[in-house]
Amino acid sequence: QNRTITGTVKGKEDGLPIPGVSVKLKGTSTGVATGTDGRYAIRISSANAILEFSSVGYAPQSVAVASKDVIDISLGTDAKTLGEVVVTALGVSRAKKTLGYSSTQVSAEEINRASPTNLASGLQGKVAGVDISTTSGQPGGSSKVILRGFSSISGNNQPLYVIDGVPVNNTRPGGAAVVNSIGDLTDNYDFGNAANDINPNEIESVSILKGAAASSLYGSRASNGVIIITTKKGKAGAFKVDFSSSAALTKVSIVPDLQDQYGQGFSRANNIAENGSWGAKLDGQMRPWGSEVDGVRQYRPFSAVKNNFKDAFDTGKEFNNNLSFSGGNEVSTFRFSYGNVYSNGILPGANDTYKRNTIGLSGSTKYKAISLNASVNYVGKNTRAPRTGTPKSGVGTTFYEDILQIPVDFPIRAFEDYKNKYYNVDGYFSAYSQNPYYSIYENGATFKSDRVYGNIDAKFKASDWLSFQFQQGYDINNIVDKIWDAKSAATPGSWAGGGNDEGAVRKPNVGDVVEGSEKYFEFDSKLNALFNKKISTDIDVNGLVGFNFNDRGSRVLYTGVEDLAIPGFYHIENSPNNPTSTQSSTQRRLFGLYASATIGFKNYAFLTLNARNDWSSTLPVQQRSYFYPGANFSLLLSEVYDLKSANISLFKIRAAYGKTGSDTNPYSIYNTLTKANINMGYAQINFPIDGVSGYTISNTLNNSNLRPEISTETEFGAELKFFNNRLGLDISYYNRVTNDQILPVASAPSIGYNFRVVNFGKVRNRGVEIALSGTPIKTKDISWDIMYTFTRNRNVVLALPDGLNKVVLKSAFDAQLVARVGQPLGVIEAPVAKYDPQGRIVVSANGFPLQANDLGAYGNSQRDFIMGLNNNFRYKEFSLGFAIDYKKGGVFYSGSADLLNFVGNSANTLFNDRRTFIVPNSVVEVKNNAGQVIGYAENTKAITESNVFAYYYTDLARAIAYKSRIIDKTFIKLREVTLSYTLPGKIAKKIGAERASVTLYGRNLFTWLPKENRIIDPEVSNLGNDLASEFGEFRSGPSTKNYGLSLNVTF
Amino acid sequence: ATVEVLFPAAVMSTVAMSNGELAIVCGLWAQFWTQSNGASQYRTIDAYSLSNSAPYINTPYAELYSGALNDYQLAAQKAVTANDWSYNLMITVMRAYTFEVLVDLFDRVPYTEALQSATILQPKFDDGYTVYKGLIAEIDAALSKDFRKGSHSASQIKTDFVFGGHGNANFADQMDNWEKFANTLKLKMYLRMVNAKPSEAEAGIRGLYQKGAQFLNLGAGLNVFVDAPDKGNPFFEFEGRRLNFNNLRASYTLTSWLSKNSDPRASAFFGAANPVPSIHQGDYLIGNNAAATPVIKATDPAWLISEAESYFMQAEALERYFGGAGAKALYDKAVTTAFAQVGLAPGALITAGGAYEYPSSGTLDQKIEAIIVQKWASLFGSHALEAFFEQNRTGYPKISPVYSKDPAYVPGQLVYSPNGATGAGNFPRRFVFPDVEKSRNTNTPAEAPIYTKVWWGK
Repeated sequence: QNRTITGTVKGKEDGLPIPGVSVKLKGTSTGVATGTDGRYAIRISSANAILEFSSVGYAPQSVAVASKDVIDISLGTDAKTLGEVVVTALGVSRAKKTLGYSSTQVSAEEINRASPTNLASGLQGKVAGVDISTTSGQPGGSSKVILRGFSSISGNNQPLYVIDGVPVNNTRPGGAAVVNSIGDLTDNYDFGNAANDINPNEIESVSILKGAAASSLYGSRASNGVIIITTKKGKAGAFKVDFSSSAALTKVSIVPDLQDQYGQGFSRANNIAENGSWGAKLDGQMRPWGSEVDGVRQYRPFSAVKNNFKDAFDTGKEFNNNLSFSGGNEVSTFRFSYGNVYSNGILPGANDTYKRNTIGLSGSTKYKAISLNASVNYVGKNTRAPRTGTPKSGVGTTFYEDILQIPVDFPIRAFEDYKNKYYNVDGYFSAYSQNPYYSIYENGATFKSDRVYGNIDAKFKASDWLSFQFQQGYDINNIVDKIWDAKSAATPGSWAGGGNDEGAVRKPNVGDVVEGSEKYFEFDSKLNALFNKKISTDIDVNGLVGFNFNDRGSRVLYTGVEDLAIPGFYHIENSPNNPTSTQSSTQRRLFGLYASATIGFKNYAFLTLNARNDWSSTLPVQQRSYFYPGANFSLLLSEVYDLKSANISLFKIRAAYGKTGSDTNPYSIYNTLTKANINMGYAQINFPIDGVSGYTISNTLNNSNLRPEISTETEFGAELKFFNNRLGLDISYYNRVTNDQILPVASAPSIGYNFRVVNFGKVRNRGVEIALSGTPIKTKDISWDIMYTFTRNRNVVLALPDGLNKVVLKSAFDAQLVARVGQPLGVIEAPVAKYDPQGRIVVSANGFPLQANDLGAYGNSQRDFIMGLNNNFRYKEFSLGFAIDYKKGGVFYSGSADLLNFVGNSANTLFNDRRTFIVPNSVVEVKNNAGQVIGYAENTKAITESNVFAYYYTDLARAIAYKSRIIDKTFIKLREVTLSYTLPGKIAKKIGAERASVTLYGRNLFTWLPKENRIIDPEVSNLGNDLASEFGEFRSGPSTKNYGLSLNVTF
Repeated sequence: ATVEVLFPAAVMSTVAMSNGELAIVCGLWAQFWTQSNGASQYRTIDAYSLSNSAPYINTPYAELYSGALNDYQLAAQKAVTANDWSYNLMITVMRAYTFEVLVDLFDRVPYTEALQSATILQPKFDDGYTVYKGLIAEIDAALSKDFRKGSHSASQIKTDFVFGGHGNANFADQMDNWEKFANTLKLKMYLRMVNAKPSEAEAGIRGLYQKGAQFLNLGAGLNVFVDAPDKGNPFFEFEGRRLNFNNLRASYTLTSWLSKNSDPRASAFFGAANPVPSIHQGDYLIGNNAAATPVIKATDPAWLISEAESYFMQAEALERYFGGAGAKALYDKAVTTAFAQVGLAPGALITAGGAYEYPSSGTLDQKIEAIIVQKWASLFGSHALEAFFEQNRTGYPKISPVYSKDPAYVPGQLVYSPNGATGAGNFPRRFVFPDVEKSRNTNTPAEAPIYTKVWWGK
């Protein structure tokens, strides 16, 4: 009874035809796919035939043919149903209902709504338990992604990124070179972390595994969670073309609020060459300003320049274009994609740019029981970045450090004309700083990387319950970068060359050039046996057993030379000095054996057991094997009991317990010698000296008795859906203890070493994650989706080694980011004033507050909580969405604040109108002859008007100066606003498109900061993208916002 | 690791600290130079407001232990294993020198329990006297070995930055000089003890003379620096190459003394005609824009014990314990050598009636003052550390009862900084314990105010 069934498959929500839906004859291998019009035709041979319709993102449906000849069906989207499939560890797709841990899946659409250039910014504010920061406004700058809090005191806290089952590199360039060597770019250049290379347009979906139970199969690197990325693939069906294009403007977001009362000068003296606003009171009169060149000074009103800081920046541009072709049939599929990002940031000219080209090619084919998948991705990146932080003294200058020092009555933007006689090297008004625009136009850094990653995946189906998989992944990155600083010295006798009223001569810069090369490689091989068997009607088992081999490493070489012979020629040989080089090479290997099995009972109870054993080359031979098990359980109460009357459509409870073992950085076992570069702080003495080479014992004492680190995590959670999935709640509680951490602990130098690599102590992270989702309105024309996430993580250091009371993680001047027992990881400590028993501040003989003997705590870097709110309204073809990110609590150190205080630009320097004052409520110590304090007397020593500026800096006022530079880091950001219009299907068809939409979007449009922070976006940091960056920033650039328009068309 | 790569690295580490930032700090306190009013790098030092986390305390402390001393220790083990007693002596003398710098700055430091990372993670602190006794015993033990046995190749001799003469020295001369260095270092340590342990100091010095100990008749120091980044004199690399001499200006304390005595070294020290425009010590909030900058060059040698210093010490020893016979000759030789260091000669200054004439008929105190004040002036530059120590030991140059702006001020006397945080007259005498040790070693003693004298102080 052979006949042909035909029909059309449409979407339930929009009524549009769905192409590429698989239509299969149940129990056979016969199948077809729908065409672009959603139509299909399939031959059947029996009236009992059942057709199965399935397509990713839609709930599958089965329809009995019976006597029908035409079967039209509508598929409902799959997002919130029991049948939801998620990608879990090792790329295995599993029904979400079987998972005993929290897993969040984010779709391509949600990520790409506001056309971000990287995945992290597309996830901001959208996932509970995830804290994502954009650490700089530099285009292509780094992102910091932290899942469930910081747990490693000095190691890596970034999650593992896995693309299509293969781990990829997420290094931040410049961090692999020897600390303080010319290749150590950590605090000065942000070329982005490698995970930001991934084109978000290539992502089909992202699964976030936060806990150890979920991630442990990945082994050692998964202890901070895993971000699993599934890329888009070709689908059976017609040839498909996707095109998206977006253009955006980038503007500076948060700039410091400056005082507007006092003009240029220092110490109340109007010395013209001074780099600060400690001069006379502004009066609005026309007055000369700046340098005197050829006997003439310029005039302008003596008043604060409005929007001065904001106007120092340009409007940047960002273009993001993507084109892909895909298609295939039941046997083979392919996909080709090209993506291009061009971004020119907020600095004038093309001095901060990010260019990225991505090419992806993937395909799959089947032959009998064998199926093959392969992908190759190329990322070409070309970045130019300005320096942040502090330059090497005597070599170059930094835009951000110089711009902070311009008096409030000087128009910053005028200085862009940096060759003008009033603003050039000779004529710039200050002998103590450099024209900021000089450094962005004349100095620079370029970065170019060529990266190839992908995998080959072969599957063999041995029987209906057993298959084998072999996967080989690769990720190879070749980076070259170059840094240069111009040689500049003011001509003797010129304004900045000593011809100013103070006779001060600007420190000449000798210039330099540094050439770097960083190569990273990673090869990951896996062999899995996967099984899936129904044991009885009630019990089924599925799982895998596998073997993993991972080999990765780096080669880093930097060469540089100071003092250029020919100015402007940036070449290693262009110097009277010999170049110096630093080099580092690493390689590490890991073998892993693992197994996992899920036992399902009656489709409502699921128990998963997993275990892994690793052998790592980075651990001592006798300790290199380590085993860690995990288990998780899920129970679908809504399947056990009928809860429909309570309007509960889903009620799942889950529990998980898991361990993750972790190895360490390579070369932490045996002691090493290093070339003697004797660090003196600002300067150093480097061997060879006098033709003699010198080597010194490394200041870090390695440890040949290291044990692996073990994190243990317990998690409980529940998932509820009410009112036919219109309201959903997902809640998790976790408790993770990271034990035996391997890290270099600061040690007393008197033992001969500044650091010792040890296993020690414990850090505990406990927290709650809540995701609440709802669809208050859902009609054919109008819908409203809302999602709220809440995350509260508490971490605490449970133990430190050897009776130490603190471990310093990062410092700036006298401020420190420390770990203390019983305190959260990352307490910020700094000098505090001494008080008498009555709480009056004790001042010293010079009238300035005395510093207490010990540093005091100003707070910690941990947040009280994080909230995200996502909204999406749709009215017919229009939709409006926004995402808000609220991070409450914590403090950070601001190096911008310290400089703004020093130069008197900061608004808080207006205390007492800068007149002579005695420190309020202050006393002096009364001492006996033996020097003991026997009482306190009223302080009568005033801080004079000419000395008021010293009240804001760390030399005399160290005891109180840190108050104005350790700041609350709370913020609320409007992360995304999008307004889209989707062309109705019929109109789209007229232009030959299947779907077409236009979106107006904005990213980070609005930022709200607490009153106390008038300085800088607390998210930015130039101290890397890990725990150290929680300390804050040291003269980093401002953050940015974007407005844009994007077009998405599918043909 | 070999001795040949460890030893030069460790020596450079000692010198980079003692003749780098420590010399800058101690030269501020010895009032050779003061903080410029146009910058702020060293204000806390001139204001006597020390923080435990100050880099100029922490960096040298950590580097001297984990850079220098740890390397000396491994190098010494290698030398002993190889029965190479020549390297053993060189290493021992440098180790003692390094420990002495530490204990003189901090009064108490870990010594007996230091550098035993395998067993002791929180070493106890030893008092200065214990450290001194230990170091002298170490030097004596090294001297008792047959350090003249064998020889060194030219490339090995080159690793001796102190006496190796860039590889051209001959082994026997090299070892003679190390023996003299060892003796002179012992002399220095005994002299340091004259206040706290007078009889032991005397016995030690008498012992040296009885045995006919030879003292340095050349400077023990490094003359290997060139004007290239990271390869110059440490003081220059720090304050000059990296900070462009923006911070240090001539101190009126020194320039008024040079001016009063018409000392031709004024122009060598400050590159300006006498009287040198200067800033009153610690007066950085007011200052003088025209004040001269100290002249320290990239190629300047870095002294551990200078030749003049050796003669000044010998002159003092002769005055104290041997009736003063020969002291004047040594004093004259010392002053002449001190002038020669900067390419000058004292001329009539030391002859009869000259401002620096030796007070042969004066009291012992007057003689010691003459010696120490001249020694103070000779230590200008990257060897300023010693000027601070010697002032603390002897009280010379004297403390002025008035500030240098007062008409009653006597040129050359040390003045209390107008921004001083310790209270009038409380001059800094020691460092506070560094945060790097204090926060990691619970045995760190309680802090004494920085105006508390160290154990040998006067």
